[in-house]
Amino acid sequence: MRSPFISKLVLVFAVALSACGGCAASKWTVKPHQRELLADRIMQLDADGQERAAEEHILSNREGAVGGTGTSGGGCGCN
Amino acid sequence: MQLRRRTPLIAAGLTVAVAAVVAAPARAENPTEVSSRLTLFREPSSQNKGITVLHPQVDANAPIAGGLGIAAGWEADAVSGATPAVSGPHTGVDAITSATQFHDNREMVHGGFTYERPDAGIGASYAYGWENDYRSHSLSATTHDDLYDHNFTLALAYTHNWDSVCDANNSVAQSPLALVPLTSSAHCFSSSATDVVKHRLNIDAFEPSLAWTMTPRLVIQGGGTIQILDGFQSNPYRSVLVGSQHQEPQEHEPLYRQRYAVFGRAVYAFPQWRASSLTMIRLYQDSWAMQAATADLVVNKYITQSTLLSLRGHYHLQSGASFYRDGEGYRTKGPAGQYWTGDRELSPMSNYLVGGRLAFLRKPQQERASWFVEMEADVKYELLLYQLDSVNAPNYDRTYAHIVQASFAVRF
Repeated sequence: MRSPFISKLVLVFAVALSACGGCAASKWTVKPHQRELLADRIMQLDADGQERAAEEHILSNREGAVGGTGTSGGGCGCN
Repeated sequence: MQLRRRTPLIAAGLTVAVAAVVAAPARAENPTEVSSRLTLFREPSSQNKGITVLHPQVDANAPIAGGLGIAAGWEADAVSGATPAVSGPHTGVDAITSATQFHDNREMVHGGFTYERPDAGIGASYAYGWENDYRSHSLSATTHDDLYDHNFTLALAYTHNWDSVCDANNSVAQSPLALVPLTSSAHCFSSSATDVVKHRLNIDAFEPSLAWTMTPRLVIQGGGTIQILDGFQSNPYRSVLVGSQHQEPQEHEPLYRQRYAVFGRAVYAFPQWRASSLTMIRLYQDSWAMQAATADLVVNKYITQSTLLSLRGHYHLQSGASFYRDGEGYRTKGPAGQYWTGDRELSPMSNYLVGGRLAFLRKPQQERASWFVEMEADVKYELLLYQLDSVNAPNYDRTYAHIVQASFAVRF
């Protein structure tokens, strides 16, 4: 049976996705000529994959939670 | 255990060579990149040598033609230190103070390809990891699609692991309380060995995410992770003091675990300061009744044209697994159900991380006349602080860790 916690998370995610979809049809889209700042490396969500992998490797071995950081990979599951 | 040097050196050399050979065409838009990184993780202990991990990485990726690219890499862990052979209370008459010294090596090689079009891309990769007592085959597939004039990016990733774990042969054990721990990895994965066995562990992970370029200064992303682990997940070497009769059976964790996480991230530009901030919040729950919340904040600022400073703060708070008890709890009350663990990462705890990174960037004055597009050298230091909820929690003697990292990358 699905727990209340998971139900809430699914609901939040669904609302967020719906909001994103609705806004896409509006005038809020960013035009190509407005992307100068976005092109800089400090505006990338996943700028350095190798560094991110090293961080995930350390924290997944020192914390009980995994995932949710936009990275792919199943991990080794080892202790 | 001997450090196997030959294989990683050959793998790293081949990686660099392949990248260099296929590098020649189109460099400006999508250059070839070769990067190396060395991380030192040092976790001191108030009672023994603690843990030291050296983690080198070498990666290369290169475009070939028509949107096709390849990537390859190698990484390793050289782990040494001391850890209690038996998990139990740190105080009282049954306090566990002795520790076993160990040295272990893990290596992993990976390779894959990507195919990028203007609005979408796919990729696949394979990784093989090995150590004396663990083998891992991993296959990943990813795809992303830009929507609404590149204002949205929908990404999906799936990974399956076929892992094998070495364990002591406990086929004669009448109950979990009779399980004995693995004492040596010397016979692991040997077909003729009778004192050890091989357990399977299958891992499936599915990760969807959606990024939205909300304004010329703000990008947000939401997503989640579903991970299912099916197989042996205990530490085969670890024993736990269970009950007042001084029984010390092998750690015994459930064979099945479902893990869920959702996250939100946002990166915001401060052009007047040549800076940006990246925030992340993650909520997590799993079928072992663990719940966790994690928050991250990274601030990036260009100090000079070619020097980038990043400051980072990280906080993680989690509850314990349903079958977790601290060392004194297992001793006085016995196991919680049929399972017991000495894993700190299954205990109620919080982590704090603070640190910073300096990146030095160099671009040629005239790109056409130079053999490279960009060089980058980074140094990083982070301090990881643990806050456990009981003096009898596993690894209570280790309260912090240093993370020191240096890297070098060249794009050409």
